Order: sequence, then structure tokens, then C-alpha cells
Amino acid sequence: MAGKTPTTYSPSPRLKSKPAKNDAYDSVRPDGRGFAQCRPAFMRTGAVNSASGSAYAEFGNTKVIVSVFGPRESKKAMMYSDLGRLNCNVSYTTFASPSRAQGSDHKEFSTMLHKALEGAIILETFPKTTVDVFALILESGGGDLPVVISCASLALADAGIMMYDLVVSASLSCLGPNLVIDPINEEESREDGNLMISCMPSRNEVTQLIITGEWSTPKINEAMRLCLDACTKLSTITRTCLKDAASSTQD
Amino acid sequence: MGLPDAAGDLSSEMEVDAFRRLFPLRFHERHLAESIRPDGRPVGGARDTSLALGAVGSSDGSALAKIGSTTMLAAVKMEVMTPLSESPEEGCIAIEFHMPPICSPLVRPGRPADAAPVVAKQLNDTIVSSGMINLKELSLVSGKAAWMAYLDIYCLDADGALFDAALLSAVAALSHLRIPQVSLNDDGRVVVVSEEGEEKIDREPVNKEKRKLNLTNIPFSLTCVLHKGYILADPTAEEESIMGTLVTVALDSSDQLVSLYKPGGPVLAHTSVLKDCVELTKKRTVELQKILAEAISDMDLE
Amino acid sequence: MEVDRADGRTANQLRPLACSRNVLNRAHGSASWSQGDTKVLAAVYGPKAGTKKNENPEKACIEVIWRTKSGQNGKAEKEYEMILKRTLQSICVLTVYPNTTTSIIIQVVHDDGALLPCAVNAACAALTDAGIPLKHLAVAICCCVADGGYVMLDPTMLEEQNMKAFAYLVFPNATMCVLSDAATLVDGEPKEHGVITSVTHGAMAVDEYLLCLERGRAATAKLSDFLRRSLQSQVPSGQLESA
Repeated sequence: MAGKTPTTYSPSPRLKSKPAKNDAYDSVRPDGRGFAQCRPAFMRTGAVNSASGSAYAEFGNTKVIVSVFGPRESKKAMMYSDLGRLNCNVSYTTFASPSRAQGSDHKEFSTMLHKALEGAIILETFPKTTVDVFALILESGGGDLPVVISCASLALADAGIMMYDLVVSASLSCLGPNLVIDPINEEESREDGNLMISCMPSRNEVTQLIITGEWSTPKINEAMRLCLDACTKLSTITRTCLKDAASSTQD
Repeated sequence: MGLPDAAGDLSSEMEVDAFRRLFPLRFHERHLAESIRPDGRPVGGARDTSLALGAVGSSDGSALAKIGSTTMLAAVKMEVMTPLSESPEEGCIAIEFHMPPICSPLVRPGRPADAAPVVAKQLNDTIVSSGMINLKELSLVSGKAAWMAYLDIYCLDADGALFDAALLSAVAALSHLRIPQVSLNDDGRVVVVSEEGEEKIDREPVNKEKRKLNLTNIPFSLTCVLHKGYILADPTAEEESIMGTLVTVALDSSDQLVSLYKPGGPVLAHTSVLKDCVELTKKRTVELQKILAEAISDMDLE
Repeated sequence: MEVDRADGRTANQLRPLACSRNVLNRAHGSASWSQGDTKVLAAVYGPKAGTKKNENPEKACIEVIWRTKSGQNGKAEKEYEMILKRTLQSICVLTVYPNTTTSIIIQVVHDDGALLPCAVNAACAALTDAGIPLKHLAVAICCCVADGGYVMLDPTMLEEQNMKAFAYLVFPNATMCVLSDAATLVDGEPKEHGVITSVTHGAMAVDEYLLCLERGRAATAKLSDFLRRSLQSQVPSGQLESA
């Protein structure tokens, strides 16, 4: 730990120079799932005691913790506001991805998380104050942002923040002719396009829709149908998780 | 929150909570007079401690440690470096301690917590002082290549005794570490030998034997709060902030003192008190050694 | 019990001490303190109005800023700032000026071992110079443990690096008191034997640490005499008599 830190490199072959069989699209996915099959999802509330509300989510190898603080005093510089404020921050650990990176704030994800949640929270219920939503991605296994969004809405519910509905999110990759739901890192790295939907299933409202890459209209329709279907299923999981947590505290 | 009725005349739950917030010091002192802590522990007792190895799949060794609700996640990642010219036979270890904003309401994004660099320095000092890692074991090719072990510890939930939990998770992650098998390629770079070993059978791995670190003198620590003649072992964040005198003692497995850390505080520590702290740490060290041994044997069974 | 030291000192011998107060014009109080080649300059500004965020506004707040000889502050400096802050908080009377901040700036002039103790002593002299109310003074010492279990005081940088362990210890100074010695005992020990701050590096046996405590205490009696003398000598004689 002297002043000079020697430069280092990871010995693991980074993204093994895309396998040559790239254009021959496999009929099976690297982890053996079917195209329309999501990863097993595990969610739990109350992961961090010092927060007002928190949740932990594990979708395959993607592991995320979200803490919610507040409503608490807004920063001094903020003007008076009848509406409450939502402040989001997403960061990665240094060991989240296979090669070590500087764990730092992910500005893009922070903004996207904010946009996805903003529409679902009843901001009128906490005027003048701020609710902070902080997410830490412990391990990145692909589809990180949708997991963060679903986990964050669960943490908000755990903190007792008023919402119109739980926000759940799912993403989908377009790999040549195939549409694969809930992609892992390996699939995301060679996708042609990606579609992510955040929605409030019981109100049938979409809070965020992000499409990247080249898409044909029928494909978009198909992809949206698949994602919304996944969201509905995920929302039953989150609801059960909340109900379990509530009934266990009553006992 | 199940509070014992030590507050006597304050009968209902609501009033106890109000008393706790308005007169925190008196609230704690009344508990201490009854030789009990607000969470029902005896004065010298530590909180429940658990340890899980291998929590992070993307690292070479990892551990999750929980002391009460204080939670630490430690992971080791191995990278290759050219050893320093003054020590060509040695690798290196870099220890970082992070307090992300999720862990405590006091930490805000963009502004690192004041405590984080201090705990990082303390961890580094303790691990280096104890001599638990022989840096020679991290050497690959003398003068050409050696391992740089990045040990990153994340605080997921901060509720007092951060150093103890961080040290426990750090030593557990190092015990869990499996060094990847590597060989030299044509450019002189070190690459991982894939487990199947189908591609390049002709290359001998350079570290066939050294897959695990030999850890000697593993240090464990206990933080105590001193207050009016009482020694409170393993304080919560609330206790730490109300009674500001902390003493952290770290002992290794041969009962050598690796660190005795008391950064100021209103209470003076006299010799007898320091001896009591060391005694408490000795007992705690035995407990923690058992917890670590159980976690390792659970792992080996799987 | 004889050990050879490079500079010919005996094990219990300190390096030459020097202390001068009021060395800076703009600061409210300042002092320079040197032990052999280790030299530290301390400046005190304040009390200034208001406290920082996350500090108790019902008490005076102490802020320590550490400046290295050259280069950026790293983790070690952050740790020194925290230790020094907590140490000084424990000797200052914080209830006198609530909701104020007193800044102590420590400038390292040269580091040749025992840097933190030197900084504590300098800060203490500077606080006195600034007239900040203190409960008592603090005196700091570095004790080194050599391989045979010998204890050496006030090591140089080279000695610190070569020894198996060392401890930075801070004690309160001996108070002049009209009470009998027995009346001021705490747990059968004089008050000035209590440890304010202890930081150790390297592994040592518990008994070796206790030996360090004993030697350190003996040495701090001398140090506190020196500190007291250097503080008195610079009070203009007229003031002392009229007071």
C-alpha cells in the first residue's frame, strides 16, 4: 500500500473474442432457459435495518440491495415545494462484474430509476421533504436496471411511501430472429436491440419504456406483450413478498 | 421493538420511546444500573454473529458477515501485476472499505463517509500487523508476475462496531479465497487456465500447488464502549453515538495484541479497564474462531 | 536492558524537545513543536460561529485539518485527523462556547518518527496559546517494542520501521492539585495514568503493551513538565504577577 500502486490486469480472458458461431443463433440460451422463460426471482424486504425501508432482490446472478430513507429534510439549497422530492442513486460494487472496476455512481441508471418511479409515487403526501432511494448492485448478472427498479418499488412500499401501485420492470433482448426475455450479461453483450418496460400492472399503466437498437413494428408489439406478461407475473411475486413480510410482523 | 420495562414508572410503550429519544443518556444509564442493555443483552455480551462464505459469484473469494444488524460484504479479486523492484518475490494486497449510501442515513451519495477511510486504514494496519498473509505466497514468476489481491469490503448496514464486522468479513473472505489456476501465454501475459483445459494442454499452469492462502495468526477484534466504569461490549450505533468512548482490541490466534485502538473520548482508560477489555476480547476471539471454523467446514461439505 | 540506538540515546531517553508559541501572526493561537528532527506547526482559528452539519450544535465543535509536508492527503492523514479531533475534543471544555467551531490546522514540517504524538503536543500548545478553555493538557509519547521485549521511547522513523511494534499513547498531564494524592485516585491509579488515546502498529504481547504504558507514563511526567515550563515562560511576567 505504498504511494505507488502498480498497474494490474485481470488474468481471465475478457469477453472471449465473440465466438465465431455468432450468426448461427442457438436454439437454447447459455443458461438453458427457454426464450420466454425468466430467471428465478427472489425478493425480500427489510434487508437494511438502519433504513426506513429496504429490499433485496436476486434474479439469477444479479443481486441488488435498495435502501429508502425519509421522507426527510430536503437539502438547504432547495426551494419550497408543495410536492415531495424523489432522489435516486444507483452504484456498482467494485466486484460486481468479472473484471474489477472502480465502484462508482451510475448516473444513467440513477436518472432512469428516477423516471421509472416518479410517476408511481404520490409526491403530494410528503411536501417540502425528500425521499432518497439508493441502490447498490452487489453482483451484475445482466438485466440490472429492471431488477433495480422492481426492487426499489418494493423498498418504497416497505418504507410506507404512498404509491399508486407497485412498479415492476422487465427487459428483453433481440438476438437475430429470437426475442429472449430477461437476458443475462452474455446475451446482452451480443444483442441487436433491447426493450425495457416499467409498469404498474394493476392500473395497466406504463411508467417507462426504453427501446434501443433496430426494431420492426411487429417485433416491438410482440416484445411489449412478452414484457408486460413478465411484469404481471413479477408483480404477483412482489405482492406475495410484501404480504409475507406484513403477516410475519403481526405474529 | 420489545423493550424490557427497566424504565419503571414510564409504563406504556410510547412513553418509553419518547423517553429514549429525549433523554438518551439517562435511558441507557437506567438500563446499565440493572446490568442489562436496551436490546436485552448483558453488559459484556456481543450480538448474534453469523458468517456466510461465497456470497459473491463474480469474485475469487467472498464472505458476508453479520453482527447484530451490522452487515459487511467482503470480496477478493485477484489480478496480475509486475512485482515492485524492491520485492520481486512478493505479491501485494490492497484493502478498501466502502460505505455506500444504502448503509446508513448519515451517508449521502457523492460525499464519502468520514469513517470509511479511517476504518480502511485500521483494517490495513491490523491485517498487515498480524502478518496473517505471507506476501511471498502471492508470487507467480519471480520478478515478472505476482498477484495483486484486491480486498473490497462493503458496509451494507451500519449499526455500530463497524471495524469488528469488517475485519471478520475480511478474514473470512481471505479464508474462502481460491486462487485461479493460470499459465503464461506467448506474450508473457498471465492467463487463466480454463477448468476443462481443452484449448492449450501443452502449457503447464504456473501455480498448480498454490491455490489457497496459508493464513496464520488470524486476527479478531472486539469494540467496547466505556461509560462510567461500565464496559459495554459490541455497541450498537446508538450506544456508540451516546457514549463516545470506544476501545477496539484486536488479538490474533496466539493471543498477541495486534491493535489497541482508543481514539480519544471523554473517558480515560486505566490499566485495569484495558486489561478487562483484553479479557473480553480473548473470550470473543474464541467465539469468532468457532464461527469461522464452522463456516469453512459448512463450505467444504457442499 | 541495554540496547544500541543509532543516535546513541538510552532506551528511555527522549530526543531534544523544543516548543515555541505564538509563531504565526494571523492565527488566533499557534505553536511549533519539535522532537529531534520531527517538527510540527499547529495553528488555531476560532471559535467561529456555527457548527458543521452532523455536529451537535449544543456543544463547541472541533475541526482538525492535517497538511502533509507535500502531496495530497491520503487515508493515513484522514485517520490522523479523526484521532486528533477526538483527542482534542476530550480535553477541551466543549460546553463553554456552544454552536461554535474551532479549527486546528496541523502542518507537518518534517517527519522523522513519532509524528502523531508530536502533532498532539503541538496542538495542545497552540490551543493554550489561543486561550481555548481546556480541562487539562494532554501529552503524547511514542513507545517502541524491540524484538527482545525491550521498550524504547520516542523512536526515529528508522527505528519505527525496524521495530516489531510501536504504540502512540496520549495521557492527561499531571494536574497541580491541593488535594492529597489519595483523593484524586481513580480505581487506585492517579488520574494522569488514564489513557486518552492509544494507537498501535505491529503485533506484541499484552504484557509488552502494559510495559509500554508504564514507560510512557513515566516519560510523560517529564514531557508535561517541559510543556508547562514552555507555556509559562512566554506569559509576560507582569501579567502573571497581577493575576
